[in-house]
Amino acid sequence: MTAFVVAAIAMLAALIPLGVVLCRARVMSAVVAYEAVTSVAVLVLMLLAEAFGRPGEFELAAVLAALLLGSGLVFARFLERWR
Amino acid sequence: MARAVAVDVLLGLAVVVVLACSAGVLLMRDAYQKVHYVTPISVVAPVLIALAVGVQSGWTISTGQSWLVVAVMVIASPFLAHATVRAIWIREQGGAERATADPAGNGERR
Repeated sequence: MTAFVVAAIAMLAALIPLGVVLCRARVMSAVVAYEAVTSVAVLVLMLLAEAFGRPGEFELAAVLAALLLGSGLVFARFLERWR
Repeated sequence: MARAVAVDVLLGLAVVVVLACSAGVLLMRDAYQKVHYVTPISVVAPVLIALAVGVQSGWTISTGQSWLVVAVMVIASPFLAHATVRAIWIREQGGAERATADPAGNGERR
């Protein structure tokens, strides 16, 4: 088990407090937690791609990073209008 | 040996940043305060991981693609934080129509 796999597993632990915020906080706090969860997922994909020696899987992280911007803007735009 | 130590230190720093910021998102009171803890996750930690990948692999396709991910996240994060804070503010003001009609919130229509 390389250091990159260990780091990926350790970063997955960060999803626990973020999941608590997602489930229990008010809606805009949940959106903030969702953005943090997506960022952590991008980091985990980067770490696993390097750990398993598959450079092609960095594209998953790049695509998810781009989708992080799009999905976050969609949530922000709709939640500022809808209650 | 030195390369492995450098990779471990960089990855350890990235993990510490992510865990500390996730605790910050959990512990802060409102969404305005929580937003500040998303930025280190999406800016500082990717840079540390890309540095670790560079130290581990040298100048390879993995290093290039990891810096591509860093570039996307560093560019996207400020826009996303701004849009999120704007949405929070508009919701607190009572909706988009009211915030547009009365941007100062003093009862005067534009």
